[in-house]
Amino acid sequence: MSVKVEVIEGGVPHTTILAAGLVSTLVCLYLTYLNVLTGTQLFSFFGGLAMVAALVWGSHTIKVLCSYGIGTGVPSAGMIAFGSGVIAMLLATKFSILLIPVVALVLAAVIGFILGYVSNNILNMKIPAMVQALTEMAVVGALSLMGFAALITGGFTFAGLTTGSVTFMGMTLQTHQQSFIGGGLIAVAFLLGAIAIQHPFNATLGPGWKQDRMLMLTAECGFLSMIVAAVMSFALINAASALIALIVAIIGWIYTYGQYMEMSKRDAAAWLDSKPIPDVEGH
Amino acid sequence: MSAVAAKPAAGGAMNPTAMVVGIVMTLVLIGICYMFAPVDSQMMVVSVLIGIIVGGVLIGFGTHFVPVGGAPAAMGQAPGIATGVAMLAAGAGLAGLFGGAWAAEQGMVVAVVTGGVGGGLMMAITCMMVNFVYVFGMGIPSASGKVANDPITGDSQAEFKSQGTEGHGLPFVSFVGGVIGGTLGGAGGTLIYIELLGLYEEMLPNVMQVTPAQVMPIAVSTAGMFAVGLFLVNAVLTAYNITGTIEGPHDPKFSRWPRAIVASACASALCGLVAVLIVVL
Repeated sequence: MSVKVEVIEGGVPHTTILAAGLVSTLVCLYLTYLNVLTGTQLFSFFGGLAMVAALVWGSHTIKVLCSYGIGTGVPSAGMIAFGSGVIAMLLATKFSILLIPVVALVLAAVIGFILGYVSNNILNMKIPAMVQALTEMAVVGALSLMGFAALITGGFTFAGLTTGSVTFMGMTLQTHQQSFIGGGLIAVAFLLGAIAIQHPFNATLGPGWKQDRMLMLTAECGFLSMIVAAVMSFALINAASALIALIVAIIGWIYTYGQYMEMSKRDAAAWLDSKPIPDVEGH
Repeated sequence: MSAVAAKPAAGGAMNPTAMVVGIVMTLVLIGICYMFAPVDSQMMVVSVLIGIIVGGVLIGFGTHFVPVGGAPAAMGQAPGIATGVAMLAAGAGLAGLFGGAWAAEQGMVVAVVTGGVGGGLMMAITCMMVNFVYVFGMGIPSASGKVANDPITGDSQAEFKSQGTEGHGLPFVSFVGGVIGGTLGGAGGTLIYIELLGLYEEMLPNVMQVTPAQVMPIAVSTAGMFAVGLFLVNAVLTAYNITGTIEGPHDPKFSRWPRAIVASACASALCGLVAVLIVVL
């Protein structure tokens, strides 16, 4: 059995973050359902908020897992989260719209659980947090990709993700190329999420690790990804809805960035501008 | 017990019970696929899943050949390429996947071979440039710390190894291992993509009620996305198997490959089943 190389001291316990992240992600995903009820696309930005909430939860899960020296680097955890998440998310989109987030949750949990068993027992990792962490991370990957899908297309049904429309000389034609999956936007969303989830712990780990600083950095990375995704959403939803998402993302990013800078200054030790080693003549 | 005194997370030991459970789970997942498949195309769907499993196993096995140095290699204290297992496997596999996808229309054999060549080429270029940086940039010779003589060239290594390091640079056997690993990974990734693409091209038009020409972008993108997802899962599981650094086929850690094959087969069967169900359900 491996030994924890880093200690969690103080801060909010992981189960609280898990519960809060799961509930707020699901609530935000279901709030995008208002699009269908009201017949507009104005509520797409809730998908981005769901993504940010899922990422905050996921980055803390990575912290729990990577506190044990797994020897493979922190980024691999983000990669397996989204690698297993995208598979669960794509199958879940085939179900009826009200069930999709729950089906994605259950399916991703099953995939993550089996992957956790495989790594812990077959590969003999024997890390206590492994099974739970991989289960959580598959769920985080699936739900945050679903958030990206809702943010960019306004919904998350398989038909909606694969079908778009182009206006050609006044006629509206159905097309499959201009869509979330057919246009390859899902690949961009995949990496936007995977980088946002693995970066915060990778950047803040060490003896000076503070929980609130890491989580604020995750929110900042999440909103940064949301800005890019909101720009991409201009292609698939109407301009007003995309603009709302973009404004929400920019406001969120500016706020979290300011907070993160303040926390960084709070946690930094005294800083001295020691000049580079001077070049001495005659050596 | 302090972290320094702790043993490495995963030793070379195998867990026979878990291995049997993994093999049984793989077979059960293939059985589930057979049950869900439409009656007239059961064999076709199951053969797709088996192709995906073979691709996943190729990725998992091939990654063990790749010389991975991690952070110690960046400091010249261990041989290998200075990054993690998951990144190298994903790089080699995706390079191969793009190469193979380009040749997808010319049949499976051509595409898989092209994918293998693409992955191997990527690793060959990476290994060569890494050695350039090590030798001419950092000024260190290539020396293995795990064997006394290079298994291929027979050159002795000990004279060139600095004290206190596990070797450094990229010895010839590691270079060859990297190319073999990239070839296997690229071929595996392409095999997964080709199998899924064939399945989606055949089944998606009925599922979505559109013509085969219209379904092409969806089929290509969905198959590509599933291939990337499966690739990353297999690469990270192999990284967990290796835990840290490996020098190549001559490294003692290489003998852990049976665990990775069972794990990759099990994970690929699971993820492949989900990928197949999207058109079958």
